[in-house]
Amino acid sequence: MKKFVTRLAAAAAGLTMMSSAAHAECGEVVMAEWNWASGELMANVDAFILEHGYGCDVSLIPGATTTTFASMNEKGQPDVAGELWINAVREPLFAAMDEGRLFSAVSGPITGLGEGWWVTPSFKEAHPELDTVVKILDHPEMFPDSEDSTKGAFVGCPSGWGCQLVNANLFRAFDMEAKGWKLVDPGSAAGLDGSIAKAATRNENWLGYYWSPTAMIGKYNLQLIPFGVPFGGAENWNGCIVKPEQECADPQPSSWTESEVHTVITADFKKRGGVAVEYLEKRIFPGDVMNGMLVFMADEQAGGADAAIEFLRNNGDLWKSWVSADAAAKISAAL
Amino acid sequence: MAETSVIDFSKLNWIDPPVMGRQDLRDLKKGIDGTFREFTRANGEWIEAIFDPIKWMLVWIEKFLLATPWPLFLIAVAALAYLGSRSWKLSLGSVLAFMVIGWLDMWEDTMATMSMVTVSTLLCIAIGIPIGIWMSRSDRVQSAVVPVLDIMQTIPSFVYLIPVVMLLGIGKAPALLAVLVYAIPPIVRLTNLGIRLVDNEVLEAADAFGASRKERLWGVQFPLALPNIFAGVNQTIMMSLAMVVIAGMIGAGGLGTPVLRAINNQYLALGVFNGMAIVVIAIIFDRVSQAYGKRLQKHREGGHGV
Repeated sequence: MKKFVTRLAAAAAGLTMMSSAAHAECGEVVMAEWNWASGELMANVDAFILEHGYGCDVSLIPGATTTTFASMNEKGQPDVAGELWINAVREPLFAAMDEGRLFSAVSGPITGLGEGWWVTPSFKEAHPELDTVVKILDHPEMFPDSEDSTKGAFVGCPSGWGCQLVNANLFRAFDMEAKGWKLVDPGSAAGLDGSIAKAATRNENWLGYYWSPTAMIGKYNLQLIPFGVPFGGAENWNGCIVKPEQECADPQPSSWTESEVHTVITADFKKRGGVAVEYLEKRIFPGDVMNGMLVFMADEQAGGADAAIEFLRNNGDLWKSWVSADAAAKISAAL
Repeated sequence: MAETSVIDFSKLNWIDPPVMGRQDLRDLKKGIDGTFREFTRANGEWIEAIFDPIKWMLVWIEKFLLATPWPLFLIAVAALAYLGSRSWKLSLGSVLAFMVIGWLDMWEDTMATMSMVTVSTLLCIAIGIPIGIWMSRSDRVQSAVVPVLDIMQTIPSFVYLIPVVMLLGIGKAPALLAVLVYAIPPIVRLTNLGIRLVDNEVLEAADAFGASRKERLWGVQFPLALPNIFAGVNQTIMMSLAMVVIAGMIGAGGLGTPVLRAINNQYLALGVFNGMAIVVIAIIFDRVSQAYGKRLQKHREGGHGV
């Protein structure tokens, strides 16, 4: 009996040491799961890899750019923001990075990104001569607003997205109100997508903001329109265009800044994250792979979790380069 | 293959209920979506055309309210409140409330919301009361309509807004539809209830006096059902205002848009101010309509013995 109890105690001690050793590697990770497709996919791929490859305890919380950034900045939660589009939060982010509260694990977790103003492919075919935004702005009558057909409708961003401020300021910078345009607030991501879906399905003209890589761009083959003016300078952009109206008295016309996306982590997570941080530093999605996954997500109506599994099944060479060999083995086994 | 079966037998066990094969489920969903997209392409034009008059009415009322000089508007509010309620306290309160709304820079959004609530309340009453009366006459109609009302009140708005936005675009028309779907059930139910609750003895008395069916309805049942009907109007107004934020989410403008901005950017003060503006409109509409309803029921006032 005594021998049995001793053996049992030894086994129990051994098990607890093993499990705590595994957890000592990684522990708990709270990640932001963005409310757009590529962000959702990235968060779920990260979660799967960290859970099955490294034994982390991952929880995903939904969020949008401004709210999640504010939460990370003020409260240090969540630990990881996988796809943070920093143009709108550049100044506060760099301030936090200087103070050492936030770090960028990797810049450019997706290659080939772009934000800007898009039109439907039918419009581009019908009017090849209107190939810059500046030229299109002279023709508001081609984009009649459904509630006020005397004005042209330009669809901006919903609130909570950094681009809402940018589009509002560009609207002023390009003098669009005087040219007969109306800035339409779609209300929500669903509203923005719905307005594109309606225009594309019914062959109506549509001008508004969107970004790539996204399923909407892939599905409806929207065309990015160059602005026709050069980039107006960092001071104009960071000091005025991205700020709320009361802080931006005189926005100058400008093409869209280079979109910068970072994977941002909190200082606390950088200290205790261990292998998770190393993985995040290596993980970069090529743009065309991401686009392909987004089209998959749209066609198959797959959520982030399903799409993550599909991605991991079909892109072994890619993700294996991000993880250690035994983690790769564990992940493959879990698929 | 388990992926293409009606029931996925490979996943069958005692804990998880039987589930459709994965590929079959996806095909089912894609099939429904594809069919709807075809439907939109083929029929979108005329469906949109049906809503055009309502859309123009909304836009016109909003423009009219915005174009009215504010002192004139306040006088009109005071006059309508007094005509409805005969209470100078309520009229004064309404005027003060609107002055504060204007002072806090919420006038335009408030006018947009008021236009939406006015049109939707009128439409709800115009559509809801006849349906309620129809339901009260026949148990079969009631059992057919009640599940529809249940669906209308509980289905999450964005579930039916996705197809509606694809048909009508974003803006005031789909928002009004969302408000109508949510706000009609109370008045239908309460009209039905009110008419059915009229005392049988009173109805017998009416018959004994030789009332025709129409006279019985409009002379006896309807007036006696008024308390319930006005409770229905009250609930309809409250529910229209509850939908203001959802309306904002599909680009309808109004007070929902700044509330959404406040939610998304965590601006507490903005949220509270606009939220209170919504509450204030609700209270004014409600008190005035209730007071009007009470005056319509003066005949009930006590002191007549029975």
